[in-house]
Amino acid sequence: MLLNFDRLGWWKLVLIGITLATTAFLLLPILFIAALSFGSSQWLIFPPPGWTLKWYQELLADPRWLQSAWTSFRIAIIVTVLSVLLGLVTSFGLTRGRFPFREALKALFLTPMILPVVVLAVALYAFFLQIGLNGTLTGFVISHLVLALPFSILSISSALEGFDKSIEDAAVLCGASPLEARIRVTLPAISHGIFSAAIFSFLTSWDEVVVAIFMSSPTLQTLPVKIWATLRQDLTPVVAAASTLLILLTVLLMLLVAVIRKGLKS
Amino acid sequence: MVAQTETASAKHYAPVRARRPTDFDLTLPALGLLALFFVLPVAILLTRSVTEPVPGLGNYAELLGSSTYLRVFANTFAVSGLVTFISLLIGFPVAWALAIMPSRLASVVFAILLLSMWTNLLARTYAWMVLLQRTGVINKLLIGMGLIDQPLPLVNNLTGVTIGMTYIMLPFIILPLYGVIRKIDPAILQAAALCGANRWQSLVRVLLPLAMPGMAAGALMVFVMSLGYFVTPALLGGTANMMLAELIAQFVQSLVNWGMGGAAALVLLVVTLALYAVQLRFFGTDRLGGR
Repeated sequence: MLLNFDRLGWWKLVLIGITLATTAFLLLPILFIAALSFGSSQWLIFPPPGWTLKWYQELLADPRWLQSAWTSFRIAIIVTVLSVLLGLVTSFGLTRGRFPFREALKALFLTPMILPVVVLAVALYAFFLQIGLNGTLTGFVISHLVLALPFSILSISSALEGFDKSIEDAAVLCGASPLEARIRVTLPAISHGIFSAAIFSFLTSWDEVVVAIFMSSPTLQTLPVKIWATLRQDLTPVVAAASTLLILLTVLLMLLVAVIRKGLKS
Repeated sequence: MVAQTETASAKHYAPVRARRPTDFDLTLPALGLLALFFVLPVAILLTRSVTEPVPGLGNYAELLGSSTYLRVFANTFAVSGLVTFISLLIGFPVAWALAIMPSRLASVVFAILLLSMWTNLLARTYAWMVLLQRTGVINKLLIGMGLIDQPLPLVNNLTGVTIGMTYIMLPFIILPLYGVIRKIDPAILQAAALCGANRWQSLVRVLLPLAMPGMAAGALMVFVMSLGYFVTPALLGGTANMMLAELIAQFVQSLVNWGMGGAAALVLLVVTLALYAVQLRFFGTDRLGGR
């Protein structure tokens, strides 16, 4: 009866109460920032004395914000493409292959996900100092790729495991070459996995801040580093405006995922 | 079980595979990337911890012998433990409610959980910096309600870090717990009721024990993630309660002391991997992950 919603009695009210409170706790700060980004007070007073778009104007008028957003975007796009391609190839190898240490190899590929990011950040920073990759686009791409790849491999592998290989074999029996069968039969069938790999890779790179703090140079910094640097000085509402745009992007990407999932079901 | 299916399909596919480049080859590019830009840099860093400035274990002796650094370790464990405990306390009823709620209501809660999880970390931390400041909404609310006269110091201290970190970790404990509770057969609880257990007895003696593996796995994950957290403690915490990740960053960035930085990194790494080994040993791999 504890697992029957209708027969919980007054406990139901307690559970619902805690759940609603927690949901509000998770949601309200996000809404709060969005509201403040339109507030006229420099001191982030809530409720704001008036409404304004000046923080967005300030944000868009400052070339450094735009530049860092553009840097973030370029890096995230390159990382997404590489991470999906590499994730695809690796997942085929891992799911289809029968070789010793396969499980250990799989674990190795997922380690960047569980390793404290700060350790990787410091290690890569030291390494890139020696080979001159700090503050370069290549350095950013490589380090973000290391972090994004596990998500890509996880999504694509699980889609591939759920795919019945005999369909691919059937295509080969019908005369397709093994490669052709993989590209024209298997790839479309696991497209949802590829798609979530792309979204996760993009968000991993786009939101990444710890490695980026170490990797960035005065001339090349990502949006999160710009926010980080600004926050260390003061709590200006311009950051609220930048955050709101980031939240909007997250909402859009999540809706996209939901729509695609729904499309797959029907 | 895995081994069984492997041998079965290996027999089945063996003739086909023998004719084409092996699947193992496909993993080589990613393996190369990780070897060069993950394993090698971490190995170099750890090596430097025993070679700089002089060869030996001096860095570790200094790290574990100084009360300043020991305080950082203690604080890291204390904050992580506190965050884990509060997350579990809040997360359990929410996961439980989610598992039995009407699905329409549950999907709204899920959407908010995922939105919060994927919203930029800095945006979320910033929100709490603003909310918790002296003139922030929380203090104003408490003063307005007449509960306090003076604004409470809520940021740049333990309170700030705990609130901010719990906020970030909650989804990571709710989601795996939800999975575990959902799999529990309601008939078991009906049986408990038939045998005369009241709600409270059913909760403490049936539901909680059955959910325990999920709670332990989720708690371990949140604890380990908290140990290595950098951004939120750096922005919401104060100088008095520095955490391990900040210490590592400080050794490297401001002190340019690679030996000590490497040594502190190794300590964090060893603790993290040890706890993950416990997780793998007792709870399997399926709940690894998160950001």
